[in-house]
Amino acid sequence: MKREHKFLLYLSLFSVLVVSVVMATAIGAVAVPPGETFRVIFSRLTGLFDSSDIPRTTTAIIWNLRLPRVLLAALIGASLASAGVTFQGLLRNPLADPFTIGVSSGAATGATLAMLLRQLYQLNFPQMIPLFAFVGAFLAMFFVYNLARIGGQVPVVTLLLAGVVVSSFLSAVISLLMVLSGESMQGIFFWLSGGLMMRSWTEIWFVLPYLLLGFAILYAYARDLNVLLMGEEAALSLGVNVEVTKKILLVVASLVTAAAVSVSGMIGFVGLIIPHAVRIVTGSDHRILLPSSALVGASFLVWADVVARTAMAPKEIPVGIITAFVGAPFFIYLLRKKKSEIRL
Amino acid sequence: MKIEIQDLSFTYGSHKVLDGTTFQVSPGTFVGIIGPNGSGKTTLLKLLSRILKPTAGCVVLGEQSLDSLTQKTLARTMAVVAQDTNAGYQFTVEDVVLMGRAPYLGRFQAESLEDYEIVRQALEVTGCIHLRKRSITELSGGERQRVTIARALAQQPEVLLLDEPTSHLDIGYQQEILDLVKRLSTVEGLTVVAVLHDLNLAAYYCNELVLVHHGKIRACGPATEVLTADNIETVYGTRVLITPHPVFGTPQVSLLSGRGNGPAPKDEQVHVIAGGGSGGELLRDLCEAGYDVTVGVLNVGDSDWEAARALGLPLVSEAPFSSISPERHTDNVAMMQKAQAVILAEIPLGHGNLLNLEAALAAANEGKPVYVLEEKQEQNRDFTAGEGQKLLNLVKEKGIVLTEKTQLYRALTEQFRLSGNQLDDLGDEARPAVD
Repeated sequence: MKREHKFLLYLSLFSVLVVSVVMATAIGAVAVPPGETFRVIFSRLTGLFDSSDIPRTTTAIIWNLRLPRVLLAALIGASLASAGVTFQGLLRNPLADPFTIGVSSGAATGATLAMLLRQLYQLNFPQMIPLFAFVGAFLAMFFVYNLARIGGQVPVVTLLLAGVVVSSFLSAVISLLMVLSGESMQGIFFWLSGGLMMRSWTEIWFVLPYLLLGFAILYAYARDLNVLLMGEEAALSLGVNVEVTKKILLVVASLVTAAAVSVSGMIGFVGLIIPHAVRIVTGSDHRILLPSSALVGASFLVWADVVARTAMAPKEIPVGIITAFVGAPFFIYLLRKKKSEIRL
Repeated sequence: MKIEIQDLSFTYGSHKVLDGTTFQVSPGTFVGIIGPNGSGKTTLLKLLSRILKPTAGCVVLGEQSLDSLTQKTLARTMAVVAQDTNAGYQFTVEDVVLMGRAPYLGRFQAESLEDYEIVRQALEVTGCIHLRKRSITELSGGERQRVTIARALAQQPEVLLLDEPTSHLDIGYQQEILDLVKRLSTVEGLTVVAVLHDLNLAAYYCNELVLVHHGKIRACGPATEVLTADNIETVYGTRVLITPHPVFGTPQVSLLSGRGNGPAPKDEQVHVIAGGGSGGELLRDLCEAGYDVTVGVLNVGDSDWEAARALGLPLVSEAPFSSISPERHTDNVAMMQKAQAVILAEIPLGHGNLLNLEAALAAANEGKPVYVLEEKQEQNRDFTAGEGQKLLNLVKEKGIVLTEKTQLYRALTEQFRLSGNQLDDLGDEARPAVD
């Protein structure tokens, strides 16, 4: 892709994201005009706009309640999409994503366990949930990958099977933990359905370091991901240290997934459908695909969350349900088209 | 760049795939690794490219041991072209070839104009420049393989390894790819090591061959020394004829079937009268079918004579371009006596070989079945102003005329089956007149 094209692409995707964030923040039980919303956000950020005429309650709604939630949705969308791109490229498998290969379930199990320990034994330390989620995600990924590997290759069918098997096993584990948990069961249930209710700036600062570090490392390996698409033996002869690269990317993509899942619960299909949709426009070059997918994933989840909190207002639908409603039909479409069309 | 392979072994599980391989590749040569399926030739190539690690022994590249190089340094010295695989990703041809520059670029370093220039040259050398903007998924097998070679060239290597680069390609693409590789070796001075399946292509293009058998090197050196009928029979278990290429003199391998690997001899003797290229295919088929075949009278140097000799058949031969002498005719008739059937191939009739017709006629008069093959009736093959044709007509009257080889084979099967049955069932008195 030419430099000017790349610039235009990023510019338009970024603009869409900014507009989405502002619009999404404006939408809610108390409607605030987008212009005012814009002024509140950017006067806080830059000090260039005057927002002194806007009531303090409105400012509080925008800045303390809605914006963190919208931004968190954007961050999580970006993380899941990036992790999806990485898993698909690394496994050379168009159906891999954090959810289908069981990493999300692993993270969920870890996080549930953390919540249970916190409740039952008052065990608590900073970042306990993300840490447990990460360990869970990593173990699940390791297990699925080795289960699916046949003679050095990871065929689609065995990978999906291994993912399904490990995921079902982990759901059973989660159910067991929920039974044991008693009164905090409902909390765990809502958390598992994937939602962004009651999220504040705390959660953002909580996951941001993991995600920024994760993005940076994934982007640094974008060229290696391209070369890996040629096959592992070819990648070796093109100077990529395949085994080390694979391990680093699996760990980092799992870390990013785990961080996202630990604050948002299980939000499926973002990591699967966004990379494919973006690839249709950008092609397979991970140096473009990775940032583009992150931007598109961010905008997508921002809008999915808007639907989640407005469709049945004042009731909230967990956002994971919305992404599944969009994602499942797309997944079926991919499976049916796989033979002739789907490429990485 | 010189490659030294020292006592290289590789064990997979308990199976010793490669056992103490030692040879050298001189700089700028094109070396072909040949051998039957499962002989360890691909393993050998993977050990050379460090995709596999040897269980014992080592490879020295130039002055350095292969183990001591970093992955990137190795990729700048050696490029690998694997067997063609379908691409499942959306890259343009240029993107793919640009990946050949990866070993030269830092993690965040973008490709420079120089890199693009190197890629352009690689595309030009391989004749892919017009495909530059095409998606890799749209290309044919041969084009894709050329792009892979271009990618390898973009690595600016000193050594190029190829694993059966032409295995799925038709003869036109095979030639195109190997011409290209040969040119890279002779013009650009690249050291090339290629696993090749086709012995004739290997002999045609390579400076030296390495013949691998059961994980060991059976022979190694110029094609003329490696491709001997003896070596091929030992390694591939098949009989072949080695002849020089008609134009360039490189050894060419021709298949020879026949008793070497056909069914056990039936002790059913058939005598063939051939000559002038009329009998080669016929002799091969009869040998393959398991008959005891004798041939006569053939002039030395005649292509049928070559065929009979290659098949190891007993034959009566006459000096080159000479008429059949009475002595040879007697030998021929004597040989024919022992046969249970005589086949007259579609020989050209000349004054020199009319005695062959006389012999056939004599056999027919004795009551021996004489099969006369006439596949191209419309074609005039009489060069004796009628004398030959007259004689031939006499033979045809007494014998059995067949217009296709398949009919002949069926007739022979029938004859021997009948005679066999009667011998078994009815005893000596009922034996047919053929004896």
